[in-house]
Amino acid sequence: MNLNILWFILVAVLILGWSVMDGFDYGVGGLLNFIAKNDKEKRYVMNAIGPVWEGNQVWLILGGGAVFAAFPLVYASIFSGFYLAMMLVVWLIIFRAVSFEFRSKVESAGWRKFWDADITVTGLGIALLLGVAIANVLMGIPLNKDHVDYQSLFSLLNIFGLAGGLVSLSMFLMHGSAYLIMKTEGEVQQRARVFAKWFAVAYIVFTLLFLLISPIFAPRLLNNSFGIIGDIVPVIMLIGGIGAILTAGSSSDVKPFAYSIAGILGAVASLAVGVFPDIVPSSINPEYSLNIYNSASNHLTLLVMLIATLIGLPLVLIYAIYAYKKFGLKVKMDESSY
Amino acid sequence: MDSLSLFLARFQFGMTAFFHFLYPPLTIGLGTLLVITEGVYIFSKNQEYLRITRFFAKLFAINFVVGVATGIVMEFQFGTNWSQYSSYVGAIFGAPLAIEGLFAFFMESIFVGVMLLGWNRLSAKAHWVSTIFVALGSTLSAVWILVANSWMQSPAGYRIGSNGIPKMTNFWHVVFNPYFPSEFIHVIAAAWEYSAFFMAGVAAWFLIKNNKDAIMRKALKIAVISGVIVACIQIVLGDISAKEVVKYQPTKLAMMEAQWHTQRYAPETLFAIPNNQTQSNGPHIGIPGMLSMLAYMNPAAKVMGFNKSISYINHKYNLKLTAEMFPPVSLVFWSFHIMMYFGFYFALIMLIALYLLIKDKLYDSPKMLKVFWFSTFLPLIAIEFGWFTTEIGRQPFTVYGLLTTVKSVSPNVSALDVGLSTLMFTLIYITLASFAIFLFKRELKERAEGKDELAGESAPAAASNNKEVLP
Repeated sequence: MNLNILWFILVAVLILGWSVMDGFDYGVGGLLNFIAKNDKEKRYVMNAIGPVWEGNQVWLILGGGAVFAAFPLVYASIFSGFYLAMMLVVWLIIFRAVSFEFRSKVESAGWRKFWDADITVTGLGIALLLGVAIANVLMGIPLNKDHVDYQSLFSLLNIFGLAGGLVSLSMFLMHGSAYLIMKTEGEVQQRARVFAKWFAVAYIVFTLLFLLISPIFAPRLLNNSFGIIGDIVPVIMLIGGIGAILTAGSSSDVKPFAYSIAGILGAVASLAVGVFPDIVPSSINPEYSLNIYNSASNHLTLLVMLIATLIGLPLVLIYAIYAYKKFGLKVKMDESSY
Repeated sequence: MDSLSLFLARFQFGMTAFFHFLYPPLTIGLGTLLVITEGVYIFSKNQEYLRITRFFAKLFAINFVVGVATGIVMEFQFGTNWSQYSSYVGAIFGAPLAIEGLFAFFMESIFVGVMLLGWNRLSAKAHWVSTIFVALGSTLSAVWILVANSWMQSPAGYRIGSNGIPKMTNFWHVVFNPYFPSEFIHVIAAAWEYSAFFMAGVAAWFLIKNNKDAIMRKALKIAVISGVIVACIQIVLGDISAKEVVKYQPTKLAMMEAQWHTQRYAPETLFAIPNNQTQSNGPHIGIPGMLSMLAYMNPAAKVMGFNKSISYINHKYNLKLTAEMFPPVSLVFWSFHIMMYFGFYFALIMLIALYLLIKDKLYDSPKMLKVFWFSTFLPLIAIEFGWFTTEIGRQPFTVYGLLTTVKSVSPNVSALDVGLSTLMFTLIYITLASFAIFLFKRELKERAEGKDELAGESAPAAASNNKEVLP
């Protein structure tokens, strides 16, 4: 195990942290207008993520910074190559980041309607685009010998990209619904149980579709570096989805969420297994691909960053556990809520 | 790479950085002031200080979310618009950015949720600890962001590898690069200075309406006491920062001072109309020997002129730069001087206010209150011009002496793409700034109309009745 492999794993862990922690924020946002019938319920749903979404969002910032430091060429190549798609994601994130605070400040119906729409659109948009981007990476992007990619926004919206988008969209909606089962009570929780079940079904259907067409678009998913063990990793996605279907209607408030996390774990692990030891495969020539060696920083940077992560990440988990504990398992509204 | 895309990429970075930096100084400084006011409440049990904290926390919240929203793009923009820069220095420059997320931004963002929504969930002391973590987190955030920025000003702790790309050789030399300590203290002091003026301006607005408002009297007092200390120290800190420029960036110094010719007894130019064509100043006023004195503590010391400073760094870094590659001198000169004049104005205002406070006339002086209300956001102008000086003055480099801006830009992004995204960002940022001002005003109005700051976002007295607890 060398530092480059370790950093590949760490980046995967950060993507997992982001998908699990910020993923339910996107899901809850996307569901807002459908699961809540009136302003009272909307505020109830929003406050399920109210005290924690700010912190969750940092996973994205940390992930971006970690890739920048550990694999600068990947950072440079992907972000400039996916230029307008990246910009679109950034705009969605900007408008989501202000929405909860802004919405709660003014009580007029029109104002709140605008931000409700904003929260829904940004949540769904980010959830969809993430999968589109990842499917395109799995397929390989046209990196030339300088690892530079000159493609347009629309070339990302191909069949395989869209299939990946549907996988991530249904995954985050399942995750958001499962999170709401855990955090809410009463009618909203009943609706969340129904949503969780059907989005889990959609997740399984889209995952199967994605895997089925992957030999055509992304053969490297099957011909991965881990052989038969690598081939069965995507099964974790299906286990998570099936678990969520079976437990969504049960009396347990926590199990659907646990299975949903398993589903996300399966997706991130499949992605990692699929690309390793490349990070961004080139569709022009395998030799132009960015892998964990030719895109990495030098040894000292990787070492310093590893030490920083080993000290810093446990601290982050301590803060997060503290914050989640202080607000309890079930949402309770008071005058300082959104 | 055509010159139009380069121009647009530079414009986009400048514009987004400009808008972003309207917000973090208040997060840092007001966060610290909230630690003070809440701390006084905890130790004195005086509810008035809790009210100050609760009210300003609402303004803090609005500012915080816009600061975060506008900041996200900053991290990604290096990759989207400056991919050559990113692949060249990522191994060094990326590290402080990632560490910022890990050790600062998480702390700040997790505890901001606890602080803003947890007034009724935590004991008073536990809540205060959350506020401390928010202020600490935002200050640490500034540490790592300024490590990254100061490294671009005075790169250290690296060696050029066999592939021509800098490699980190010593992490602590990267962190404590020559510019870092002075830049960090200068920026933090600016944040505190702005926040003191912000708190003073808001308090003054209420006192103009009703000067018996005991809570806002206390807020103004806290603002003036903290403000006078910071505003006076800031002048010294500015001088310390400028001395680092003298040592490491002679081209920036020459542009800041419109110093065209190398000379002994160099004057501190107070006013000038610098002309790049003739390489001389039009009408100008200066104090003879003052620049030599400030830079080298010796009025007879020789200060390098603009052309000399260029040939000096050409020799030092083995480059072939010409004067045309540098920004217009007037731009850097005026950015620096506007910042400097504001700095003196702030210290003067705060000293007068302190005098009135001691004489017990501060709250009864409508003029002084109006000056404070007028000055609420003025420090932002000084802060932005300070950044113009630092960033434009560093040109034509992104990393001083190491990498030029022309060689930093993404080669694969068209002018159309950058132009489109720049247009969008401009619209989005103007919208966000308008929303923030609208919501600030609303909070002020609501309080003026008698809403109680202890009652949270919307008081029970308000028209709505959607406050019942679900389910």
